Amino acid sequence: MMQSKKITLALCAALLVVAAGCGRKPADTGTTGTTGTTVVKVTDVSLGRAIGSDKAISDSTDNFRPNDTIYASVSTEGSASSATLRAKWSFEDGQTVDQSTQTIAPDGPKRTEFHIAKPNGWPAGKYKVEVFLNDQPAGTKSFDVK
Amino acid sequence: MHPSQSGRLNQGEFTVGFFDKFGKQDEKKPKADFSNVQSGSSSTAAEPAATLPPLNPPVGTTGQSQTYVVVAGDSLSKIAKRFYGDANKWPRIHEANRDLIKNPDLIHPGQKLTIPGA
Repeated sequence: MMQSKKITLALCAALLVVAAGCGRKPADTGTTGTTGTTVVKVTDVSLGRAIGSDKAISDSTDNFRPNDTIYASVSTEGSASSATLRAKWSFEDGQTVDQSTQTIAPDGPKRTEFHIAKPNGWPAGKYKVEVFLNDQPAGTKSFDVK
Repeated sequence: MHPSQSGRLNQGEFTVGFFDKFGKQDEKKPKADFSNVQSGSSSTAAEPAATLPPLNPPVGTTGQSQTYVVVAGDSLSKIAKRFYGDANKWPRIHEANRDLIKNPDLIHPGQKLTIPGA
């Protein structure tokens, strides 16, 4: 009697092991998106006094002089048939200094530059540039004019 | 005990004081004038394929140069798109205005540009 109980218990244990093995998923084959990059995102916003032909900042600073042309270089990744970048430049008192938009059709890492200049010089103070991608906030940089 | 005696201000007292301070600062500092700010933009990314015909395409002027006065927000690629329907033709306008445009990324409102015929 005891012998048959032991056998039954051993069989049950073996069945449990097999059942657990059947329920286990195969090794993860990757749960990240497999549809490819179809979304554009802003990866960086940098400021400076000059840009190169690749639209990258070549004279990086966040302290400008009144007669500087101020450049913001916006790096994006991803691809899309159309995406709109907008740069909103503001002064410390809340005034909007300027707003510019650039519509792009990126197919990989790209840079878009926005620039502002003021012939009679920038008033000293604190400024910021807010970058929007398809009207969604995508980055902000503050800078000073002294 | 009055709230101010305890060293704590109620919400109304704080708000009035805060804006009074701001108001005085505004009186001292005249509002900055940004009416003559010049701006522009450009990208290493292509522009989306045009889905609409170009704005104000030149009528009956194919092959003839025109004059265009730059307005705020213009860029060479925008002007090229307007006149030629193709933003990538901006170098044609740049070439025709080398004496005026030193930096193709920076044009100024009021500049009179020669637009070569299409």
